[in-house]
Amino acid sequence: MTVSENVVKAPKERNYKVGEFFQKYTMIIALVVVTAAFAMWPGKEGMILLPSNLAGLISENAYVFVLATGMLLCILTGGNIDLSVGSVVCFSAAIGCTMMVAGTPWWLAVLVMLLIGLAIGAFQGFWIAKFKVPAFIATLAGMYAFRGFTNVVLNGLRVDIKDDTYLMLFGNGKTSFIPDFIRDLFPGLNNVFTKENAFLTKLIGENYVTKFNVTCLCIGIVAAIIFIIMMIRRIRVQKKLEIIESVPKQVISMIVITLLIVWFSFKLACYRGFPMVLIWIALVLGIYAYVTTKTAMGRHLYAVGGNEKATALSGVKTRNVFWFAYANIGLLAGLAGILTAGRARGIDPVYGEGYEMDAIASCFIGGASAYGGSGKVSGMIIGALLMGIINKGMIIIGVDANYQKVVKGIVLLVAVMFDVLSKRQKR
Amino acid sequence: MKNESLRETLKKNAMLIVLVLVYLFFLAVTGGGIFSPSSFSELINQNAYVYILGAGMLMCMLTGGNIDLSCGAFVCLLGALGGVFMIVQGLGTGVSILLLLLVGVIYGVLLGFLIAYVHIPPWIATLAGFLAFRGLGTSILTANSATGSLAPFPVSFRNIFYGRIFPTDKGVFNLPCFIFGLVAAAIVVFAVFMNRRNRLKKGYEADTVGKAALKSGIGGAAIILVMTRLALDGGIPTTLLWVAGIILVYSFITSKTTIGRHFYVVGGNMEAARLSGVNTRRIMFLAYLNMAVLTAIATFTVIARSQSAYADVGKNFEMDAISACVVGGVSASGGAGTVLGMVIGATLIGVINLGMSLISLDANYQRVVKGFVLLAAVVFDILSKKKQS
Repeated sequence: MTVSENVVKAPKERNYKVGEFFQKYTMIIALVVVTAAFAMWPGKEGMILLPSNLAGLISENAYVFVLATGMLLCILTGGNIDLSVGSVVCFSAAIGCTMMVAGTPWWLAVLVMLLIGLAIGAFQGFWIAKFKVPAFIATLAGMYAFRGFTNVVLNGLRVDIKDDTYLMLFGNGKTSFIPDFIRDLFPGLNNVFTKENAFLTKLIGENYVTKFNVTCLCIGIVAAIIFIIMMIRRIRVQKKLEIIESVPKQVISMIVITLLIVWFSFKLACYRGFPMVLIWIALVLGIYAYVTTKTAMGRHLYAVGGNEKATALSGVKTRNVFWFAYANIGLLAGLAGILTAGRARGIDPVYGEGYEMDAIASCFIGGASAYGGSGKVSGMIIGALLMGIINKGMIIIGVDANYQKVVKGIVLLVAVMFDVLSKRQKR
Repeated sequence: MKNESLRETLKKNAMLIVLVLVYLFFLAVTGGGIFSPSSFSELINQNAYVYILGAGMLMCMLTGGNIDLSCGAFVCLLGALGGVFMIVQGLGTGVSILLLLLVGVIYGVLLGFLIAYVHIPPWIATLAGFLAFRGLGTSILTANSATGSLAPFPVSFRNIFYGRIFPTDKGVFNLPCFIFGLVAAAIVVFAVFMNRRNRLKKGYEADTVGKAALKSGIGGAAIILVMTRLALDGGIPTTLLWVAGIILVYSFITSKTTIGRHFYVVGGNMEAARLSGVNTRRIMFLAYLNMAVLTAIATFTVIARSQSAYADVGKNFEMDAISACVVGGVSASGGAGTVLGMVIGATLIGVINLGMSLISLDANYQRVVKGFVLLAAVVFDILSKKKQS
């Protein structure tokens, strides 16, 4: 493939890439602008960037990241959603907590929660895939039914978790952070991170300087280095396959993201260190980023959403693809249930309400197409972050809870309008 | 030949048969409680919103399985506004009704525009309303009332939407109600036979005299039965008039007008409809404008009955409306479904609701049952279509 061939290929193709780029950057720009707006809000300057708030962003939105990943796969198949995830989260957590209170070891309860989620997802996926029941009706029925079952299991009462190991692994209490190994290994560092050290005190803040978690910062730096290596390899592969993608743009985004990773891990280090939930989130995101981009099943998900009939005629078993998407989100709902129960230290019958909307909104704000066929994990992450920051920002500046919902609705609408309109211009 | 037509008849009227069976089931389980005059009143008054919203949802679903997720939350918002108009501001009943209808029209125009002309998928556009309107309604209520609800609505408003025509005491046989039933039954018999005659005149196939007699007989008898029971509960509920009026209007539109036919065509195959010259965008626009206005009317019946506007009103309304349509045979992919089917579906759900509360079934099990009924109805619908094709 020569360069001239690429030029002849069609200006339309380049507009497509520009449109996509622009949209992806628009969301990041929106994220930055919104964060800056909240950070500069008169009377509450800088509050949103406090380490405790940023750590809260992760722990409070853990379920959104997990559920939105699953929801993305469903949306890819053709704009299908799963309305039942909130109820499934609550139901699986209800079963798990009840089991733990009855004396079941935590790891067994965790396993059961995951299996319940998977079973429910498989059940709903069966109706959707084999009988072609419209997804929103099947999952609507599930939403009703499992909320009802939850109340049967819990009898309307809250159940608390007392198991410390569980709370450490999945919660957000004092123990739910990776302890500072490095400072334990190098006690000399304790002398560095004292209030006497003027530079560090200024950088980190008086409240946090003595407890600064070095391990967390190191994890962040290592992650950044890995990221840089991955990006360099990607650029190399692009050069080899002669894929034209603007290198300066990629380098700039790579630098920006690297700085963000380091900055964020720094902030987390100021608070309590690397949260355990972040491990789970990163695991989920990593696995699904891989699945969507580098596996056959991932490609099939996009294909089915792009044109179901053509995909079926190409020999792909579309039924299995749908079933996979829904079984998968069921499993992730189970995981979200584990994390929700961990964070709340128990389960309440009303938990989970509205979770599906948060997940759906994150996907669409992150650029997934409402008709299926396109959408990426990276976009979804940005969407989830944006929703999380808007939520937190509104709480910080004291917006009435009712108006918060209004804002959520408007943001979703605007994001989708933007997506639909930009696709129309492409045609 | 006769066996086939029996099986066909069973399949065509499956939902009606299910309705009868479920009713008989609850008749036994409630010890006749569900047959009491007050139960009939309750069935109509409590479920008026399902019939009204169902009619609107039917029109939306006909265009291609599209739904309106925002109607419940919009009821909450309109209720709050109604409370502000009538209770806080003290505007007259008539003025308030007009204002609320106007708000419905404005929302309908906006929604219709976004869906039909900007091509936002309907469930996302209405999802935004679902999220936003309840919050908006609740903040209006808390701004205007210390308790978070507004009450009571003026008597004139209540009488229009929750009153009785020629009221009598309960237990006293209400003659006007009974006569109304007789007249309505007679009209049904007449209409069925007229329909048959017209079809024969134009050369179409029509029911045999026997079948027409059976159909009209059952319909007429049902009407007389209902009205007789209502006659013992104080007379014709005005809600019934509203519901019946809307059902008749939409029956007429869907079966005897060109624009009604267009809804079916758009749902059957939008591209083909567009190429045939149907203004598909206008149909989509009208579907959602219509839904918003009907939501306003449904709101009137709801708040007149509850006598107050409160934050939780309207919860799950959209699900009930969708369920009524789906259970009543409206295709989830569009292009098929009748008002009569929706009515049967809504009645079935109403009977199940009423029956479950009469036997004091736990609210949670009620939800489970509702969920599975919805699923079963859809599966049945899809399976029967599979066999046909």
